[in-house]
Amino acid sequence: MPPSWLIWLVGGVVLVAAGVASTLLPRLRARDLRRRTAWSTARAAIDSASVSRDACQDQVAEAEQLLARAESIAADRGGAGAADEAAALAERADRLWREARRG
Amino acid sequence: MAERTVRRTKEWARWTLLGAAVVVLVVFLLAQRTQDVDVSYGQSPSQSGITEDDDVSLSDATVPSVPEMKEMIAADPVVRLPGSIARWDEQAVREVIGDSDVRILVAPPGLDKAERRRVMTVEADLEETVLTVVGTRSTGGLYVAVADRITGWRSQFATGDITGHLVRLISSLEKREDPELSSDFPWREPTGAELDAVAADLRTDGVHVADGATLERVPEESSAAAFPDEDALYVALPMQEFGEAVPRYGPALTRLFPDRPVVVMYGSWIEYHGPNATDFARLSATVFYAHFADRLSRYDYPQTNVLGVWLDRVTDVRYAGLFDRPLPYVPVDPLTVTLPALPWLFTACVVGFVALSFGPLSSRRGSLLQGPRARLAGLTALTIEVSGLTDERSDPSLTRGIGKLDAAREALESELPARQVRRLLDDAENELDDTARLLGRDAYRPRNYLQGRLR
Repeated sequence: MPPSWLIWLVGGVVLVAAGVASTLLPRLRARDLRRRTAWSTARAAIDSASVSRDACQDQVAEAEQLLARAESIAADRGGAGAADEAAALAERADRLWREARRG
Repeated sequence: MAERTVRRTKEWARWTLLGAAVVVLVVFLLAQRTQDVDVSYGQSPSQSGITEDDDVSLSDATVPSVPEMKEMIAADPVVRLPGSIARWDEQAVREVIGDSDVRILVAPPGLDKAERRRVMTVEADLEETVLTVVGTRSTGGLYVAVADRITGWRSQFATGDITGHLVRLISSLEKREDPELSSDFPWREPTGAELDAVAADLRTDGVHVADGATLERVPEESSAAAFPDEDALYVALPMQEFGEAVPRYGPALTRLFPDRPVVVMYGSWIEYHGPNATDFARLSATVFYAHFADRLSRYDYPQTNVLGVWLDRVTDVRYAGLFDRPLPYVPVDPLTVTLPALPWLFTACVVGFVALSFGPLSSRRGSLLQGPRARLAGLTALTIEVSGLTDERSDPSLTRGIGKLDAAREALESELPARQVRRLLDDAENELDDTARLLGRDAYRPRNYLQGRLR
């Protein structure tokens, strides 16, 4: 029979491991999901902005600049924060082009 | 809304389960620490302890001065001081002594400290081997002889027989082999007259005290604690004559008074008969004499005191729970009752927690709402219908709408949250709404179009 402290040790390790896994796994999943969601939004916004650019006859320098920044951020990939920033830039560029077109 | 409350309840239940598991674990671990072996022996109401009171333990006997005793021992190999009680089988002892010069000094029991010291100093500067016996305690040189089994104690205390002790001492001092000796004495059935006299006394007040016995009264509290079921019967006899058969009252009285504890005292020796006698008598005798034989052999305790202490010992044995006698009522301790359930409770809590933790992840998959898919399909169909009609003004919004729809499809396929899909679909719907507005075709506004499709 193994000594009783061994049982407690193994039990304790299992308990701690279970606790770490049960908190860490959902958290990692949530983070990954948030990142992918943010990039999905950002890509859709960049697409929309480039469509707006193509539809606009005039040059809008500021919008070009914003979109270029958004695309370069997207090219670098990154976390949810970077994706949010790229989405915000693309949306602003999109709005500028639409205003210019309606103009 | 309902979905949200369900989710919130689930979350709440999940963490409650985890908390419960932790509480259960902590309670269990703490309980492990406090669960000492709790033998009821400790709660025994006996007030055990033989008294060291001089008045009780000392006799009137006294001993001569040391020079006088030395003279006596020089003149006679066996000196028996007045009041001494120890007896032995002289022939057996003589055989062991053989040619050696061994003297034996026998003193009475119950000497005070000074008297005892006087007796012990007699042997100090004598050349012969001197065995000193005080009461029934035999010493010689550095050795003390003690009985170590029931027959030994029985003959020592019931008849004052110390043959075994002397033989053992002599053979140790002379470095010889121990001869095999039976230290028991012969029993005999009590005669009808003896038995009648004892039984008559027992019938009237439950106690028989023979001439010469020193039992003044039975300690009633101790007796009630030791034998709570039935009143015990007590027979007190003086120390028996050495070498004669001893009347064995126990079995005879048990036949006369079945199911009643019978306690028979021969001098300081206590016999138990009656219920559970086979297990109980040996155990109580061993417990009692292993502890007190030394004192009992040196001092002169009246039987009242010996019986009191013996009864306390019996109470202790009873409270140790060895004999399935009813113990006093002890309320059920909820801790000991629930303790075995705690590990299972803990396991249940953990299983519940884990199930609730993984529940949402698995349920998300299949139920990815038919709603968004239907909407996606509807809007895609709308774009195809509209695409033929658009002009330069409405083209960009259509293209943007198609882009958003693509993004929504991708989000659906890569299992992004429903909220994200809905947001992308909302964006697409807005773009298509713009398209329809620019075309001036209300029927192609997504709201109207989708409603028409659904109908």
